[in-house]
Amino acid sequence: MKLYSLSVLYKGPTKSNLLKAAYDLSSFSFFQRSSVQEFMTFTSALIVERTTQGSRASVKEQEYLCHVYVRNDNLGAVVIADTEYPQRVCFTLLDKVLEEFSRQVESIDWPSGNPETINYKALDVHLAKYQNPREADAMTKVQAELDETKIILHNTMESLLERGEKLDDLVAKSEHLGNQSKAFYKTARKQNSCCEVM
Amino acid sequence: MAETEEEVDVLVQRVVKDITNAFKRNPNIDECGVIPCPEARYNRSPIVLVENKLGVESWCVKFLLPYVHNKLLLYRQRKHWLDREALMDITCTLLLLNPDFTTAWNVRKELLQSGVLHPEKDLYLGKLALSKFPKSPETWIHRRMLDKSTKQQQQQQHYGETEQAGAERSQQLSDQLARTLHQEMKVCSDAACRYPSNYNAWSHRIWVLQHMAKGNIKVFHDELSSMRLWVSMHVSDHSGFHYRQFLLKELSTELSQTSACIPTIMTSPQHQSSTVPSSCSHNHSHTQANGELPGAEAAEDERQLGFHTVFQLFHEEMELCSDLIQSFPGHETLWSHRRHVFYLWHNLRKEHQQHCSINGGIMSGHPKDSDLCLPDGDAQSCAVRGESVNGQRQASEPMEVDGASLPEPCDSKRLKRGVLLPGPPALPSEHSFVSGVLDRCSNPEQRRFALAYKKWLDTVIGQQP
Repeated sequence: MKLYSLSVLYKGPTKSNLLKAAYDLSSFSFFQRSSVQEFMTFTSALIVERTTQGSRASVKEQEYLCHVYVRNDNLGAVVIADTEYPQRVCFTLLDKVLEEFSRQVESIDWPSGNPETINYKALDVHLAKYQNPREADAMTKVQAELDETKIILHNTMESLLERGEKLDDLVAKSEHLGNQSKAFYKTARKQNSCCEVM
Repeated sequence: MAETEEEVDVLVQRVVKDITNAFKRNPNIDECGVIPCPEARYNRSPIVLVENKLGVESWCVKFLLPYVHNKLLLYRQRKHWLDREALMDITCTLLLLNPDFTTAWNVRKELLQSGVLHPEKDLYLGKLALSKFPKSPETWIHRRMLDKSTKQQQQQQHYGETEQAGAERSQQLSDQLARTLHQEMKVCSDAACRYPSNYNAWSHRIWVLQHMAKGNIKVFHDELSSMRLWVSMHVSDHSGFHYRQFLLKELSTELSQTSACIPTIMTSPQHQSSTVPSSCSHNHSHTQANGELPGAEAAEDERQLGFHTVFQLFHEEMELCSDLIQSFPGHETLWSHRRHVFYLWHNLRKEHQQHCSINGGIMSGHPKDSDLCLPDGDAQSCAVRGESVNGQRQASEPMEVDGASLPEPCDSKRLKRGVLLPGPPALPSEHSFVSGVLDRCSNPEQRRFALAYKKWLDTVIGQQP
């Protein structure tokens, strides 16, 4: 089980902006890491944009699960994990991070903030600590706490999109994804649909 | 760029050379990968070396791969001559891009056999190929060939030497073996982390242990404990858990064998028969009762010690399994692991009890008799064990009875003997584990697995005589 990224975002009226993020991409091959990181950022932003205030959701995309929580005050957080990682622990982590973040960073700074301006340094520590859910979260065995029925589950990223919208188009249009990442996305798509050539 | 045949030729030769040079420049390259890059950037080599990572820009693969592929095939068909240097370079490039190309590995095998290529080099190339293709069957197969031949070579060198030099050599040899073992374990771990349920990597790991550490209890034991954290972090990796099942099985066989063969070393040949539970040993035992009983006792003690260790291993494994099932609900891997471990233990205990009942007859009248026969000598736990063999009665009986009576005798014994003897995995404890899960957990998957396990206990274990 693995956590790949943990990010805090602000959900604006049309777009969301990244406030702070931490990544653990050691399990990806070296030359893919930068693209994977861009994609995780892109995906996290998209998911926050498409999630309504005051709700929790888990989005499945291939072998990854993106867990999101957007609070009523528009502050949101996303953790990207593999499918093995216990969902409940992810939401505990998100609650904890958002609570801590809102205590340390003034809410006036949220709408215009970005990773350079926001002074909140705990994400890396949290991400590292939560790699082993049993050590990080003593309550793992207690399942009752969180009402799992209230978490919306999306089986693909596509189900977040509006009618007529396509993920491929969003990727192509994105300003945050570099050319290499877009190429990476295309090969990944191809390899997913057909046998691997190289 | 590079449209005409001639241009492709020049380009590819340059790229192959670049790869060779990269390895010369940095002998510590530990990973290979393709960099997504649809178009060539003018006048720049597609081979990139960053830190210890070798990258190939993706645009050149479509030129490179068919070219080196064809060239090697032409060489194989004797239509095109390549010298050894060129062969090594071409096969290296080819295998980094497609490690399942058997012909290329075979060419390298010939180079190895003719002594031009050092096996270390191919182990290294294989490791790199696995960094991008962690499952590649051909790479694993080639690796086994290499491991086998290095081992044979080492042994042959060993036989050729005088006795005095031999002692020194044998130390060297075991150091070498330990190094190889460590290196292979590392390669397997890396591949297992890169690809979930990597059957090929885990099979290789099993093969390595069987061929390089057969009978070495310490190595198996270390493997079991070092893999503990790994499986706890990969709770749906079937292959990883299967590896643990293999380790447990080997350890339990080894431990009971070691203890059984100790008397052959320590005592007279007459004695061996007394440890063999056959009909003739009955006669022997009477004669031995007068003179040489201590030897038999020691052997039996050894056996018990071995069984105790095995018992402890199985207990710990079941504890780990329970812990993981409760912490990470809804993973079938954990339940099937439980099933396998319990089954192994169940069979082992049956064998042990058979042995005990035979030996109990031999050693009757001996004061330590009851202690020797069952790890927990109390009459109470004796009864629990007896019952659990008779599964049908067990299944129909309410669980609270066993659940309440079981821990107590163990606790009192711990006090008496000062030895930690936890409750044995047995049918009643399994049933109470399952009902505990069913009571507490609302996860539908988890409930389904728990019920399936219960059904398995009832139909497979419960029906056995």
